[in-house]
Amino acid sequence: MCAAPTAFLPAGNRRINVPQILMAAGLVGLFAAIPLAYIIVRALGAEAEAWNRLLQVRMWILLRNTLLLAVTVTMGSTVIGVGTAWLTERSDLPGRKIFRWLLAMPLAIPAYIGGIVHLTLMRPRGGLFPKLLEDLTGISMPGFNPLGLWGATFILVLFSYPYIYLLSAAAFRSLNASIEEASRTMGRSTRQTFWQVVLPTLRPGIAAGMLLVALDVLAEYGTVALLRYETFTSAIFVQLAGRFDRSAASILSGVLVVLAMLILWAELRVQGQRRYTQMESQWRPAAAVSLGKWKYPALTLTLGVICLSLLVPVTVLAAWSLQALLSPEASNGVLRSGSRGFGSYTWNSLWTSAMAAFLAVQLTLPAAYLVARYPNRMSRFLSRICQVGYAIPGVVIALSLLFIVNRSFPFLYATPLVVVIAYVLRHMPQAVRGSEAAIAQVSATLEEAGLMLGRTAKQTFFKVTLPLALPGMLAGAALVFLTSLKELPATLLLRPAGFDTLAVRAWIWAVDGSYVQAAPAALLLVLISAVPLTFLLHREKLSA
Amino acid sequence: MTHLEVKNLSKSYNRQEMPAVSDVSFRLAGSEILALVGPSGCGKTTTLRLIAGLEVPDTGTITLGERVLVGRGEFIPAEKRGVGMVFQEHALFPHLTVYDNVAFGLHRLAKAQKRETVNDFLSLVGLEALAGRYPHALSGGERQRAALARALAPQPEVLLMDEPFSSLDADLRTQVREQVRGILKSIRATAIFVTHDQEEALFMGDRLAVFQGGSIEQIGKPEEVYHESKTRFVAEFMGSSDFVSGINRADGVHTPLGILPPAEGFQPDGKVEVAMRADDVDFTLHGTGNGCIEERFFRGAFYIYRLRLDSGEILHALKAHTVWLPVGQRVRVFISADHPLAVFQKGYPARW
Repeated sequence: MCAAPTAFLPAGNRRINVPQILMAAGLVGLFAAIPLAYIIVRALGAEAEAWNRLLQVRMWILLRNTLLLAVTVTMGSTVIGVGTAWLTERSDLPGRKIFRWLLAMPLAIPAYIGGIVHLTLMRPRGGLFPKLLEDLTGISMPGFNPLGLWGATFILVLFSYPYIYLLSAAAFRSLNASIEEASRTMGRSTRQTFWQVVLPTLRPGIAAGMLLVALDVLAEYGTVALLRYETFTSAIFVQLAGRFDRSAASILSGVLVVLAMLILWAELRVQGQRRYTQMESQWRPAAAVSLGKWKYPALTLTLGVICLSLLVPVTVLAAWSLQALLSPEASNGVLRSGSRGFGSYTWNSLWTSAMAAFLAVQLTLPAAYLVARYPNRMSRFLSRICQVGYAIPGVVIALSLLFIVNRSFPFLYATPLVVVIAYVLRHMPQAVRGSEAAIAQVSATLEEAGLMLGRTAKQTFFKVTLPLALPGMLAGAALVFLTSLKELPATLLLRPAGFDTLAVRAWIWAVDGSYVQAAPAALLLVLISAVPLTFLLHREKLSA
Repeated sequence: MTHLEVKNLSKSYNRQEMPAVSDVSFRLAGSEILALVGPSGCGKTTTLRLIAGLEVPDTGTITLGERVLVGRGEFIPAEKRGVGMVFQEHALFPHLTVYDNVAFGLHRLAKAQKRETVNDFLSLVGLEALAGRYPHALSGGERQRAALARALAPQPEVLLMDEPFSSLDADLRTQVREQVRGILKSIRATAIFVTHDQEEALFMGDRLAVFQGGSIEQIGKPEEVYHESKTRFVAEFMGSSDFVSGINRADGVHTPLGILPPAEGFQPDGKVEVAMRADDVDFTLHGTGNGCIEERFFRGAFYIYRLRLDSGEILHALKAHTVWLPVGQRVRVFISADHPLAVFQKGYPARW
């Protein structure tokens, strides 16, 4: 067959109205880019004095702290993520089928909630764990202090490694047995094959996961604030919520966003290369490697990771929730009805996240369709613009929305809609990627078949393309829903007074020290998050 | 009676220097099956897509019956042409049953009429029993027939088929194409069929158009194209020909295999080439002879022998499967064809 045309079709032969879609995608791109542009403009426009004050010391400390944490968390997550992925996908580890689920489930637990649990357990003074040790041994031990850099690293690794685990597990699975066999026939040992063939083939997948984790660390607010490790986000939050110094906040946000954009740019480049590690039609899984005497150490390691990242947080939350329900004082607070009650927190969490998921998928559909059907420079640019949300941390989105809404849309100020807009802006990238992949896997020939049967381009889209792409688009929506549920800083800063979500309530109570009261909200948040996560994991397993 | 007419059709893509289709013209009578055949990249699929309305030509006109589909400032979009198409990978809608796939193009019919039409076409292709199945639960041959029923159901004025058998296994392919040709003939369908397989083209087409480099080399009945190839390319492509050089003289074409009847339209005493297929050539064991057996290939029903003439040229000859002769024997090679052989001017490019 002759090469298919890649450019937009001439006007006489529009399969679908391209200019109209281009226009829609362009408008959405503009919407996505506004907060970014606004923050950069504000940062550059801040008074020189503010810049000088920050540049003297503070900026460098924040930069060092933030980058240091990004590096330690990324490294730790990569070691655990790739290691456990290899164990569950390529070795004969006992129980690996269950571990595949358990290792991914911590994604349902927001890092700051895990942080709260571990902090209460391990605090040097008053922590449950040191106290237990003291009771048992009679000596007061200093123990591990979960505050500061290493504490933050510990917590963030525990709740970030699943990203890398999932991406590298998928990559391990998609690897064809024959490439390893080819390496073996050319005289490489199993170990040499792993380092020289398997790992380099997986590199794009793993690298993409690492960069996403790094972006997440840059955006993380709850954990670093809790563990008193100051990064850009916590500094910006303090400026915004406490001191109301908006020019300092703008400058810090500008620098943070530039940093995140660099990482996102690298990630998009890596994503572009990932296409080459697709499954071939003659695919056949590689044989599992026997662990031999390493079986029990490997099992201990895997169980340890699951224990710390899943079992301990869930058990502690469940125990506290039980305690809360049993004590009349606490249960009254928890079960109170009306706008200050538990039902209303749950409802607020659900509707804002669901609306964000729906809007994000709707808005990114034009760009996703264009880049899947007409991959050229223009459509790729639009799809990338829709993905800048990855590089705008929640606090920064909040800051720019506060400015923009105050100035141009005062009627939106202090409405929950601003919260939804923040979720959409921040999580649109996941929707655009989901839809793009979903549409790309619906063959363009099916659309041509629709036309040849006398249906218009629009009818064909709604009767053929959309029904077939829907499951993939739903996966994108589930991801937006999940991350919006967990979103903390933007919600804290943008919510109208009295508008509480589960995440907000769990956080506020926990920071006040009322762990028992916070537990039911946190537990419910985790359980609700587990629903879309289970759907996503199920899809992942099915497609493998 | 001309049903479809393609006139001076050309199309080139932005980034390629060579046009994909250049100045292609042909006519198709009603109830006729035309096979477009040629190597990959020769422009046959593009021609088909231009007729379908899935591509826009740079120049040229296409008329179907009385209607101008494209050209003279007209462009009728694919969905309004009344042209049906069977795609290479069938392109059945995976979320619809066989029944709904066939009904997809019948949206303008009333409900009862629609049901009747779908059932008619399903029984035409013998799939009534599988109407409720989804495409993934069908075998390759059943998918092929479902795709055919779907394309035929709206009763298009012309049916286009783009390598419809290429996704089938070799043994199934022969069986399915016999069925498909039978179905098309039974409803007197007008069809254009694209393939890169010369044997399939000979089998399916009432006429053949041999494509090369974006244009038609030869168009005609299967026998004409096969036996009276107009160009060296057609002779080579339509059934691996060997070429023996000769000289065109007044009394005939002088070749190492003897003198052939004179060929017209060549310079006197000019160098020519004669195309010969394995079934045109025969040989006997002969102590002196004019060549020797170089290799023997078993092909089931027959043997093919590769012969080297003393002049250095290579020929292939066909023998029954009972005739086993050892490699290295001296033989006398002669022409056994009872039809004129195609003669070409020597030294001209293959396209001439």
